[in-house]
Amino acid sequence: MDDALARSEAAGPEPLPPPSSPSSPPTVDVPRPRRSPGQWLQIFVPYIPSFVPLAIVAAIVVTLVLVTGLAPLNGLFTSKFAPTPSSGPASWGILVFVTGSFLTAVPALFFSMVIGLGIAIASVVYLPRIVTRFLDPCVDLLAGIPSVVYGIWAYLYVSTYFGSTLNPFLFRNLSWIPGVGGPAPPLSGLGLPISVFILTLMALPITTLLIRDALRTVPRDLWESGLALGATRWEVTRRVSIPYGRGGILSAAFLGFGRAFGETVAVAMVINVEASYPHNIFQGTGTVASLMFSILDSAYGNSQFLAALCYMGLALLAITLTVNVAGRYFISKLSATEIAGL
Amino acid sequence: MMAASGAAPGASDPVLTVRDLSVISGARRRTKKRAILEGVSLDFPPHSLTAVVGPSGCGKTTFVRSLNRMVELTPGLTVTGEVRYLGQNIYDRHVNPVMVRRRIGMVFQRPTVFPTSVFENAAFGLRLVHEDENEVDRSVTEALQRAGLWEEVKDDLDRPALSLSGGQQQRLCIARALAVRPRVLLLDEPTSALDPAATQRVEATMQRLKEDYVLVLVTHNVGQAARVSDRIAVLQAGKLIEVGLTADVLERPREKFTEQFITGRFT
Amino acid sequence: MALPSVSTGATPDDNILFDRSARTRWRIGFDRWAGRLLPFLFLVAILPILDVVYYISKSALPTLTLKVLTDTSYRDPDALGVPIITTAEMMTLATLLAILFGLFGGIATAEFLSERAAGWARTFANMLAGTPSVIVGYLGYFAFCLYFGWGYTMIAGVLTLSLFMTPYIFRIADLAFSSIPRHIREAALGSGARPYQYILKVGAPIAFPQILNGVFLAVAIGVGETAPIVLTTHGSVILPQSLLSPAQFLTATIWENFNSPFPVAVALALQAAFILLVVVVGLNIVVRIISARYRKRLEGLFQ
Repeated sequence: MDDALARSEAAGPEPLPPPSSPSSPPTVDVPRPRRSPGQWLQIFVPYIPSFVPLAIVAAIVVTLVLVTGLAPLNGLFTSKFAPTPSSGPASWGILVFVTGSFLTAVPALFFSMVIGLGIAIASVVYLPRIVTRFLDPCVDLLAGIPSVVYGIWAYLYVSTYFGSTLNPFLFRNLSWIPGVGGPAPPLSGLGLPISVFILTLMALPITTLLIRDALRTVPRDLWESGLALGATRWEVTRRVSIPYGRGGILSAAFLGFGRAFGETVAVAMVINVEASYPHNIFQGTGTVASLMFSILDSAYGNSQFLAALCYMGLALLAITLTVNVAGRYFISKLSATEIAGL
Repeated sequence: MMAASGAAPGASDPVLTVRDLSVISGARRRTKKRAILEGVSLDFPPHSLTAVVGPSGCGKTTFVRSLNRMVELTPGLTVTGEVRYLGQNIYDRHVNPVMVRRRIGMVFQRPTVFPTSVFENAAFGLRLVHEDENEVDRSVTEALQRAGLWEEVKDDLDRPALSLSGGQQQRLCIARALAVRPRVLLLDEPTSALDPAATQRVEATMQRLKEDYVLVLVTHNVGQAARVSDRIAVLQAGKLIEVGLTADVLERPREKFTEQFITGRFT
Repeated sequence: MALPSVSTGATPDDNILFDRSARTRWRIGFDRWAGRLLPFLFLVAILPILDVVYYISKSALPTLTLKVLTDTSYRDPDALGVPIITTAEMMTLATLLAILFGLFGGIATAEFLSERAAGWARTFANMLAGTPSVIVGYLGYFAFCLYFGWGYTMIAGVLTLSLFMTPYIFRIADLAFSSIPRHIREAALGSGARPYQYILKVGAPIAFPQILNGVFLAVAIGVGETAPIVLTTHGSVILPQSLLSPAQFLTATIWENFNSPFPVAVALALQAAFILLVVVVGLNIVVRIISARYRKRLEGLFQ
């Protein structure tokens, strides 16, 4: 035994493995660490709950697609929606309702952006802090009221005002605008104008909040620089603050639109749901969301009907998801810390 | 190292006269009143650069912000006394701050360019009042030249102002202020956020500008004051303790505090 | 460095003292009027809230008796006892499920996921939050009522509602843990705490008020939802016997009765709306109080 030891010691330390090339450092073989199943678990387990929302959204899409069966329905992209026509095949034109959704959501977006901009400017620029600390949450409270409550209030109360005063006023004085003339408005006050009214109220807290936040991000220095050049508060707001916060303002538009477009119950209660194009703005029509909601039980058992409804659902989902994602993207992207000229 | 004074101060009427200016905080509420400025009186003659120096918290920023009524943006402050621009009190009841600020411009500590192009930044003040495009064009060119930035940006005036370096941005802020043709330019520590090279260029610009304007420079850097100013005013705890020609104040300070402040030796 | 030459001919406008031009006076006046008139736009937002509260209260309160609130006998469908209790039961279950689905995901997103993965997870959470309620209702109807074969039952409604509420809890759990100051997190993990220990012992107490807030908010949203409920569980006049019986939600009462030709039914809808308003507004106020207290309490932490 000692001999072996002595011999190995005499031979010197074990020679290093030859370098692979004259200039590279000596390589050593290290076995790759094996991760135990427990460690793999630790890495991947957190991903499971984090993607529950994805799973739900995926489930939604899958369900809708399955129900449609991707069946090519008759007249799907037309504007004729007749599930039970007196003659001829049923036609499933979803275009009517998509148009209806836009007809209500776009004006609502317009009004809520304009009013929201005004409120935000008043709050950030003109009113003292003490007042805005109280008033801002009041506007935010608008978002907390459930849709049904808005709906019942509008249906029972506001509609009488629309029916007796506002609609006739519009009809008499603005009938030269296309879409306002034609058949006289019904006394009930339901229809498009009141839907737009409700949607404006529902989108308003979103637009106001986002524009307000966008305006508040303007650095104090920048604001004062504008004033120091002899500009009024309005001018600095218009020429400095609003361009600076244009990301937030854009996202306010997108998210407000998403809200108005997807609103279901309140619209269903006041729009006087009808499956046809209105002849003028006072008649009833349908939006995608409100129709899907109010007519589902009538569609029971009718697979084509159900498929049509799910096509509408997919369209609605596509539009709202795009708009929402785009809206959130703009919040981060365009907040005018555009460094170094891009 | 000492700046040569141009026209002898006092040879013509001062453009800006400050009489007994006091700024008090908390005067209206039950909280304790605190005097930020007390009874400051000072003149600013034409074609001069006056440096306002003093330790932190001595009120120099508040002082300079009182000269164009920017001090009103801070809530809770009461301003008494007079600040007269060419004989007219800027705090007069019938005078709106917007009117004053075209004549008395201001440059801030950090470059505050707007998120638009170089041209639009410089034209900002002009666009509020002038409509004529040629007029705006001319004034922008002239302002950029006076600020010493023209050569560097003339090839592409539409590039984003934020793509300029810090020193260039600050000179753009100066050009922006000059474009509306003020008589007085207030500069609140304009080089404290800049590196030495950029600082030097801004100082060179200031030295050129004082031939045509009245400059009031707030600085905590005595060396800078020595390099560019004609007169120095020393503030301490809200009071003006010494004012005079730069050479006089630096070589033969009258007050003990001035001497300590300048040499940096507080025994 | 050559300095650009300055034309000494042009001097500042000596003649003009202050800019008193007509144009400037107009600008100042416009600004002043903007400051006076714009604040009135607040009324556009505030008057409707007041009007809703006033109208519903005025219509509902006179006929609101204790009997209406608590009567659960099936003989009298004009009482709210059934919907109220059912709603409470369903909300409790749905909230618990939503917490189950959303809380862990939110915390995991904040603590364990890489920035890229977290970005995706948050995007999906936002997508789910932005989905119209009717679409979630469709999922519930087709998946639970038809495919699983449960029909119009309480469990279907509870599950659908919980799916709808999940993203709100997810987002706020994520936000709560993400906004814990880094130095606290690093101190805990750096002294050898394992991640789950940090979450339980350090993170949870700090994040708790925010998460509680989020739960209240989710409840406020869930209790006011109509579409997911109506599509998955149809009216009943008695308390649900089991998870598999139909259930009457408060909002469903409003939806079914609001356009009824019978005044009694409409009155019932109004009373239900009143209760709903009280609950929702109450929850919103509670949420605000908690946020205010939370900010004050933890001011020292966020240096």
